[in-house]
Amino acid sequence: MTRLGDAVFIFVLSGTALAQGGRGILAHNPANDNKPYDKHDLSGIWTRNGSPGGYGGGGTCRDCGDRGYAAKVPPMTPLGKKMFDANKPSYGRLLGSPDAAAHPEEDIGRRRAVPPASDSDPYQHCNPMGPTRALAYVDPMEMNVLPDRIIQQFEWGWGTRILWTDGRPALMDPDLPRWWGYSTGHWDGDTFVVTTTGVDERTWVDQYGYPHSADMVLEERYKRTAYDVLEVTMTINDPKIYTAPWAGDLKKFRKLDKNTIKSIDGWAGMLEDACAPADEVDLFNKRVRDPAGGVIH
Amino acid sequence: MRTKYSVLCVGLLAAAIPAVAHHGTGASYDLSHPVTMQGIVTEFHYANPHPQLFFDVTDDKGEVTHWSGEFYPNPAQLIQDGWGRKRSEAALAPGTKITVTVAPARAGTKVGAITKLVNEKNEVLLGVGGGGPGAVPQGGPPPAPAPEPGK
Repeated sequence: MTRLGDAVFIFVLSGTALAQGGRGILAHNPANDNKPYDKHDLSGIWTRNGSPGGYGGGGTCRDCGDRGYAAKVPPMTPLGKKMFDANKPSYGRLLGSPDAAAHPEEDIGRRRAVPPASDSDPYQHCNPMGPTRALAYVDPMEMNVLPDRIIQQFEWGWGTRILWTDGRPALMDPDLPRWWGYSTGHWDGDTFVVTTTGVDERTWVDQYGYPHSADMVLEERYKRTAYDVLEVTMTINDPKIYTAPWAGDLKKFRKLDKNTIKSIDGWAGMLEDACAPADEVDLFNKRVRDPAGGVIH
Repeated sequence: MRTKYSVLCVGLLAAAIPAVAHHGTGASYDLSHPVTMQGIVTEFHYANPHPQLFFDVTDDKGEVTHWSGEFYPNPAQLIQDGWGRKRSEAALAPGTKITVTVAPARAGTKVGAITKLVNEKNEVLLGVGGGGPGAVPQGGPPPAPAPEPGK
């Protein structure tokens, strides 16, 4: 590519990023407008990523929710503030930078990034993201609907959770919190409502390090509004951490045909995008990420 | 011409930074001061969370500096753009001569986020042709158009 070509390429990228706030939900396809669909069928691969294969990259999307849980945050309790301050994210605007100072309208959680070398992000070591953070992420998610449960599979991190639909009540105060918690779901009209409890408090609400306790009760509401559109809203009820229920921003997903994503060999379906093995991840951190942040091993 | 071109690119990249902070890398690397070097590949790892490239750069005095770099796209992105493991590893076998542009570590260490990578034939490798975080690797499908409000 010529230098001019390079410049145009970068300009297009920059313009796209600025116009869209990054690549967001896939563009509307008019061919899907009149396709019949069952509002109670959530099966399939869904993505919030705007690139054609629904893979990687992305960032923010103004009309489908960005990679954070919500732009507005309710006041925290003293314990919540303590946990918030202890969490050191590497996402968002750089702590103490002119860029961070130039955006006082944003919550401080989005303006306190430190290099990954000195963050405390559990995902820096590829630990499970937990439900809120995974749903806020942009890569594909597959809903596998069985008679008594929905298996929700996230491509990035290859995380799996089970939403039980067999009529069992939500499990309050479980003995052992889990990375993905305990989830039950039922239909309320055309909305699929999921209640999740017992999420390990080592997970973050989102990449900006907002905390939650193991007593958090998370409500997710899934609504299929078109053949290829799934809308998800979440509400956190966690009085130990937040002084009021915390409603998340709307997350909009676009449906992908299973043949949209393929391996090099043409193997269709979601990729096994596991962040593994752990020792190689550690090696990457020690050889690249940590030195980039000035930490030499 | 080179100076004008560099200023244009730097300006455009800097304008995009707030929107594309990604994988926590924005806090470590300085996209506004790219560095271009000629080097020789010593190691390449096609892995999550991001592929890594290690290379040696020899200066005019013959002194060798070892650099480490990470790619913004991860294997899932690279696969969708035709850069599978075998092709990528063949393109970056040890000893391969490269010209690489990185966003250098703010810490001043010899580490960078790779924004452009070509071989001796000036062929773009792994689709990294000048984009920053979130950029679609070259050689694959183009970015999707802007979403329609209300859909």
